[in-house]
Amino acid sequence: MFELLIKSIQDKVPSTEEELHLCKTHFTPKRLRRKQFLLQEGDVCNRMAFIEKGALYSYTTDAKGGQRVMQFAFEGFWISDLYSFFTREESKLNIEALEDCELLLLDHEQHDYLLKNVRQYETYIRILYQNAYVALQQRIEGTLGLTAEEKYSHLVEQYATIVNRVPQHLIASYLGITPETLSRIRKQMASR
Amino acid sequence: MQTKRTIAILGASGNMGSAIAKALAKGNDRLLLISKEEEKLEALKTVITNEYPLADIEGMTCAMHGSWEADIIILATPYEAQTDVAEKIREVASQKIVISIANPLNATYDALVTNPETSAAEELQALLPHSKVVKAFNTTYAANFAQTVIDGKQADAFIAGNNESALETTAELVKTTGFNPIIAGKLSVSRTLEAMQLLLIQLTMKYKYNWLAGWKILHQ
Repeated sequence: MFELLIKSIQDKVPSTEEELHLCKTHFTPKRLRRKQFLLQEGDVCNRMAFIEKGALYSYTTDAKGGQRVMQFAFEGFWISDLYSFFTREESKLNIEALEDCELLLLDHEQHDYLLKNVRQYETYIRILYQNAYVALQQRIEGTLGLTAEEKYSHLVEQYATIVNRVPQHLIASYLGITPETLSRIRKQMASR
Repeated sequence: MQTKRTIAILGASGNMGSAIAKALAKGNDRLLLISKEEEKLEALKTVITNEYPLADIEGMTCAMHGSWEADIIILATPYEAQTDVAEKIREVASQKIVISIANPLNATYDALVTNPETSAAEELQALLPHSKVVKAFNTTYAANFAQTVIDGKQADAFIAGNNESALETTAELVKTTGFNPIIAGKLSVSRTLEAMQLLLIQLTMKYKYNWLAGWKILHQ
């Protein structure tokens, strides 16, 4: 139930059994089924989720109800709306399960407790935030500067399994292109 | 709250479990009705769906799997089963609200079987050290859920627990079921709440209240 989380912590900050146990007791194990929500827009995001199994994605909706995909997350990843988590403002994001998921949730109160009491956790979280910042900047750069083809190649390089696990229209939305353009890019790439 | 919560009711085929399930079906939460008595569960689901066609309910037989999916767990099982159930759900109930409704009565309904310095709820908290145990729905009879106003007065339902946000969430649930929620205090107040139900049961039998009776605090 905690295998990937422990690996994620140990990879970044070597910790003792005791410290890991203390961390474990502050998480909420939660199963989510496909199409169920971890967060819906309008709520304050009160928790961060670590994915032990499954996949989720976050998105905003436009006035016509269309989805604009922000992020995909798979096993070993964290997903949340950190903006809402930090500011306590209502979230504009939806976070939905793409597959049946096994999650470990950490709410605001428990997060604060661990930050104050477990030094390794603070280091771990700092590294996560650094990574999240880098990923965010890459995402912005991609949106501003790269061609659709470059963005797609970059995505597939990063997450090899994404093509098999995520519907094409969601990948297209993430890249900011139409499903037709994505289909054309894939055909071009396959014919090379 | 936009994001749908999942509430697992363990022992949903029992008198109290099914009464709580029917009452919570009025709300917006997803309900997992958990019991080994599959036929009774099916019957309960039919009754709920007929009354509330939009209710999001599902029957399950495994307490552990149901509790794993849940955000809130209601233990509507008898006091005698508490240790066994706690053992099954301990790992997946970590940091979740676990509502204890049990009254630790003896077989003749004239005494509590717990030591006076503890309560069923505090024992449950000791069994589930990383969960947020809350006492609720223990001073109400199953029949009261269908009729929360008795003799023109809305029955009170008392809540006790050590975690503030868990108490608030439970108070909202109690409100959904139609009772007037009163946060009574820390989890140790459960000793009083469990003894109150013992008294109510004794009075019900003595004065023949027909199992429709409740507590109401009168105040200015």
